[in-house]
Amino acid sequence: MTVSDIRPSAENTPFYRAVGDEVEVFRAAARRGLPVLLKGPTGCGKTRFVEAMAHELGRDLITVAGHEDMTSADLVGRFLLKGGETVWVDGPLTRAVRDGAIFYLDEVVEARQDTTVVIHPLADHRRELPIDRLGTTLRAAPGFQLVISYNPGYQSVLKNLKESTRQRFVAIELGFPPADIEIQVVSREAGIDTETAAALVKLGNAIRNLDGSPLGEVASTRMLILAGGLVAEGLNLRSAIRSAVVQVLSDDADVVRALDELVDALLPRP
Amino acid sequence: MTTPNRLRLLATYVAGRSVDVAEAPIGDPAHTNGHVIFVSAGAPLEQQRREILVQSALLGAGSLDARLVRRLRGHPVVARRYLALEGSRVLTDLADRLPLAADLDVTAVTTSADESLARARTRSDIPDPPAWFGVLKPSQLVSSTGIVLRATDNDVAAPNVSPRDATDEDEEDGPTEGSKVLRLFQAPLGGMAAVANFLRNILGGSRSEADESAGAELRVRAIRRAQRAGPLARPLPTRIHFTSDDRPGAALGVNGALHPEWDVFADRYRPDWCRVIDFPLTATADVSAAGVARDDALRRRLCRIGLGPKLLRARPDGDELDIEALVDLCVDLRSGYSPPENVYVERRKLARNLGVLILIDASGSATDTDPDGLAVHDHQRRAAATLAVTLEELGDRVAVYAFRSHGRHAVHLMAVKTFDQRFGATGRARLNRLAPSGFTRLGAGIRGAGEILKNQAGTPNRLLVVLSDGHPYDDGYEGRYAQADTARALEELRADGVACLCLSIGSDTDVEALGRVFGSAGFAGAATLSELSPRMDDLFVAALGELSAPQPR
Repeated sequence: MTVSDIRPSAENTPFYRAVGDEVEVFRAAARRGLPVLLKGPTGCGKTRFVEAMAHELGRDLITVAGHEDMTSADLVGRFLLKGGETVWVDGPLTRAVRDGAIFYLDEVVEARQDTTVVIHPLADHRRELPIDRLGTTLRAAPGFQLVISYNPGYQSVLKNLKESTRQRFVAIELGFPPADIEIQVVSREAGIDTETAAALVKLGNAIRNLDGSPLGEVASTRMLILAGGLVAEGLNLRSAIRSAVVQVLSDDADVVRALDELVDALLPRP
Repeated sequence: MTTPNRLRLLATYVAGRSVDVAEAPIGDPAHTNGHVIFVSAGAPLEQQRREILVQSALLGAGSLDARLVRRLRGHPVVARRYLALEGSRVLTDLADRLPLAADLDVTAVTTSADESLARARTRSDIPDPPAWFGVLKPSQLVSSTGIVLRATDNDVAAPNVSPRDATDEDEEDGPTEGSKVLRLFQAPLGGMAAVANFLRNILGGSRSEADESAGAELRVRAIRRAQRAGPLARPLPTRIHFTSDDRPGAALGVNGALHPEWDVFADRYRPDWCRVIDFPLTATADVSAAGVARDDALRRRLCRIGLGPKLLRARPDGDELDIEALVDLCVDLRSGYSPPENVYVERRKLARNLGVLILIDASGSATDTDPDGLAVHDHQRRAAATLAVTLEELGDRVAVYAFRSHGRHAVHLMAVKTFDQRFGATGRARLNRLAPSGFTRLGAGIRGAGEILKNQAGTPNRLLVVLSDGHPYDDGYEGRYAQADTARALEELRADGVACLCLSIGSDTDVEALGRVFGSAGFAGAATLSELSPRMDDLFVAALGELSAPQPR
């Protein structure tokens, strides 16, 4: 399967539909070179938003996912042995700083706090990256912008962002889009008709708005798109939702049964 | 039997708020009391689903608001006519949103709840509603406050074994003389246990009378199989499955178990004696009341408690070499850069591995006030909030439960914060809104909380912090009996590896009684939490230390 099969329009522009003023805020921050902090639940479109903005601004995007073994060398770069010689290899952050790209650090709180301190000098007025192993300090190229994302409430309390880190950022909060926009998004991304997308979104909203829900996470836009993708591949809507939403949300047999009932009630009658 | 539980999310969605679903007593038609929808017991799922739809749609549309329902009280005919009209109306409205409702063959005659009510009170001809509409029970709707779910005696049908019956059964078959040789072969684990027992008999480590309960009186982890449990064998809690009568179950987080109780006078356990039910506190609370006092002294003290080893890489000192760091160092040295030689792996006690369950006494005895007008209960609540916030910030697993009892069949553990929730503004506000009532069946509360701690904490170190005035008192539960049962409950927990600490804050309980119940190291009292803060680490360590040094009996 080629890429153009998935995106019939064959264009490379990442599709992002703005909900609030996040695009304007990001543009303004980009003009000033201010670092941006994206908050929002999982699967609400944080990564897609950054991709779309990078595309619009015509900059390269370098994405790194935070994990707890990440060291500052993973970001800045290191010497490698190559045939008996040592060669300096830029890390992703250094590359972004040199090239003036957008550097997107996904799930920043997963990284150790001493690692994230590396980005401090880049995130304030200095806009420079000290590279201790080379003994140099790199000034950020004009287009460089730092974007980090995190998912409040999802990680443990220990994994919170340090105040000193937070306060260097412009925060943009993303949520799940309103129903009409989400229908467009789901139908376009999954390649399904509006009616099916509307059914999926209605279900998604029903699950999100359950009072006293036994679920840890709710149905995200990404999840609905996945289910839509299965429908586009010829699966019927009922089994697509069962595989991509119900079974994913819970392992508890009781909860799965209860979700099934809700899904049955909400889906259009065959 | 179909479980109505599976319809709970559907009902919650249609009603627009959290409702439970349960089967009504056999013979009763479907109805609701505002927060539980009862469906006909034993009816096919299809019918139960329809019953749920109409009842939850009525709730969701506000047709059962007190304003309307009050006027139906004492008028069963009007209520029935109102149900027929209003049920059709809400279902027709719902059909736009919910395809399932469109399948139902109903037509709306009225356009609003008020119109339905006005029409129901006239003498016009209104056809009877279909049977699956169920009935309206105005008195239940008006009287239910909808604030706290309360499980009471009527809620769960449990076999009530009176103490007399149990005792009679005990006396029926007296001790029988068995052959010692034969008894050796009873050992289920083969020769090892038999040999061990033989040696023990010879060496006099522990005497063993020739009765049927061979070995079973050894309290700690006895593995001999016996025909009957000895009097000291602790009955395990019996899980209650809320499917038998009319309580909803797991999906809501309502759990329950029948716990034993220690009868000091008969010197034996009463199995399945107390019904302990834990459920989430769902009171809506004003978030502005969520302030929690900070306590820096407490934080500093507690940050060194309950630490486990954590592997640190690339340290300047340590027991082993960190190969990865060593390679990096070599590369760096070759390339002419001299980094610090951090090439060791070090194990340091940094990882938090303490799970704490804070159990607050929410009983009526905690209402005595001090000169400042603050009740004991207020002090306890504040202390619990501060403790929970501090421990959570330090990264420990914390849960906060409140408990009270109304007799042995209704010991309630209310989850303010479970281990998996975060202690957010709502949780804090709920804690602040907790109103004391009921009594203190401390032993059952401790056993229930201990089960939760054992099953859900998931940490090697577990501590139960009881915030109470230490006056166990309930129906048939007082004085020496209550103290002995509580002490026994604590002893059981310690045997299972759960430490216990009682903090008596703001009350002037007599120290001697507390000491009898909790053991000398297991309690501390003060007027406020901040008085205890400077030595909280000692208290925690002492409580956890009791585990490693079991007390002689």
